Amino acid sequence: MSAPFLEFDGLRKVYGGVVAADRVDLGVAEGEFLTFLGPSGSGKSTTLYILAGLQDPTAGDIRLRGRSILATPPQQRGLGMVFQRYTLFPHLSVAENVAFPLRVRRVGQGEIAERVGRALDLVRLRGFEDRRPAQLSGGQQQRVALARALVYAPPVLLMDEPLSALDKKLREEIQYEIRRIHHETGVTILYVTHDQEEALRLSDRIAVFNAGRIEQVGTGHELYANPATRFVADFIGESAFLSGRILRAGAGVADIGFADGTVAAGLRLHGAGAAGDAAEVMLRPERIGLAEVVPEGATGLAVTIEDAVFLGTGTAVSARTGWGEAVSVRLPFGHPLGRDLGRGRVLRIFWQAEAAHVFVRG
Amino acid sequence: MLLDFAKLGAWRWALGFIAGLTGLFLLVPIVFIAALSFGSSRWLIFPPPDWTLKWYGELFADPRWLAAMATSAKIAVVVTVLSVVLGLLASFALVRGRFRGRDALRSLFLAPMVLPLVILAVALYAVFLRVGLSGTLAGFVIAHLVVALPFSIIAISTALETVDPAIEDAAVVCGAAPWEARWRVTIPAIGHGLLSAAVFSFLISWDEVVLAIFMATPTLQTLPVKVWTTLRTDLTPVIAAASTLLVLVTLALMLGAALLRRRGGRA
Repeated sequence: MSAPFLEFDGLRKVYGGVVAADRVDLGVAEGEFLTFLGPSGSGKSTTLYILAGLQDPTAGDIRLRGRSILATPPQQRGLGMVFQRYTLFPHLSVAENVAFPLRVRRVGQGEIAERVGRALDLVRLRGFEDRRPAQLSGGQQQRVALARALVYAPPVLLMDEPLSALDKKLREEIQYEIRRIHHETGVTILYVTHDQEEALRLSDRIAVFNAGRIEQVGTGHELYANPATRFVADFIGESAFLSGRILRAGAGVADIGFADGTVAAGLRLHGAGAAGDAAEVMLRPERIGLAEVVPEGATGLAVTIEDAVFLGTGTAVSARTGWGEAVSVRLPFGHPLGRDLGRGRVLRIFWQAEAAHVFVRG
Repeated sequence: MLLDFAKLGAWRWALGFIAGLTGLFLLVPIVFIAALSFGSSRWLIFPPPDWTLKWYGELFADPRWLAAMATSAKIAVVVTVLSVVLGLLASFALVRGRFRGRDALRSLFLAPMVLPLVILAVALYAVFLRVGLSGTLAGFVIAHLVVALPFSIIAISTALETVDPAIEDAAVVCGAAPWEARWRVTIPAIGHGLLSAAVFSFLISWDEVVLAIFMATPTLQTLPVKVWTTLRTDLTPVIAAASTLLVLVTLALMLGAALLRRRGGRA
């Protein structure tokens, strides 16, 4: 197998005793849109800054097209970057901001004008050439920053939470623009965000960071359908976690006993677990059914209804298990029980064995 | 707002009156001196019996006055250049640096602002006598630099604090070497701070008299020193002319800086 286009190899960063990033191993394909997703302080930005050359790693290597770039100073790496904060040069016009990378590369005047024009077309800011950054909205500033980062055709574009300062509506608008620009240019993009919805909307693949490490890498669908760890399950999408105990474990499958005596057999087990271990069963709300009688072939559990809220497309039901854990269920519109969920009513939740994931409690 | 000018009613007139009086109080001596410099009376009679440019003629005909002006200008220019350059370097260290004793260093740099000037003058005089700088142009420059630098550092640091270091990072990732990023991005971005630092430094040196009296010799004097020494021996309207000239340069510089800043702000 040939080496990936961009490769992180055992990257580690320690600042004053705190491990900011650890054992970051990752391959990125050319043209891929890969997002680093994780809470703040999880090492995603640190990894990006090391790639940009603005920070040095404590150990490990980064290779672009098979060649280490760590010895190359940041200004010679040729990467593009859009920052979280507004970083346009305040004394320069929009056109001069975008021209800056070409000027420092001593590109000829005529070619600069042409390439700046094309970059501004790409971000749809033609006609704004003579404005100053202070005369632009936050969204426009970030689009200029995007044009400035793309004007020299970098092999990789790095984006560090570029939309976090914008309001939700504008954010979605620019997410769409970023997708379009990715399709039009085919540039490889590494995108950092703590917003799972943004990650799902934009990315080909997502690397989920937690406490300095990558917990799992995969498409949004893979991460949602088959989370490798409890952290990923919790971070991506909504989920219910039910505590239980492993009764029998083997070959990635476990039987779980719950506190009310219910046994759920043949659930998918993630990680190593043995009989007697405390475990959690993860269920997605839309894969949990609600009924008076558990259907044939499904696992069921008695719950008490606490609240039901009609949301148009469905009904969000909050319930509590016999031993007091909260579960939320999403009933589709038209479900026979949807209009008849009084508080305190006892019903049964049920799920198919393959919809549940078991994580051993750490 | 609690004190809204529009709602003050009759008090507005009182307020305007007090403000006018304060302005008058501050400006009268200067206006007075300027008027006297054009007055025909040798004995500085006010109001002047007649108007003349004679005293300016005498001022510009006297080689000693001319030498004092040249000395003042020379010192002020050198102080300005050094103060801005050193102020810029010090500000980078104080604003961007992360090292132990940074706050102590900042206080040390700003100390000449709060130190009584005459004590500074005596101390510098004692040292300069020993090292042979007393009565030299270099001595003047160093003495004025000590008092100008704090103002320069304040003006430049304040401007630099508003420039996000991420902007420099962006310039570097864009392909600029770190020195180039600072030269092409940071320094233009703090242009107004550099301008303020330059104007303040020039004016501090141009107006300064206490340190200059200690540094001066009969052959090497700044304009304010020359005014002061002449005043002690001779009451001539030429002094008024020299004073008016001092004020005029100050005024021109302030106006020029304000115009430049406004243009920079609008562009």
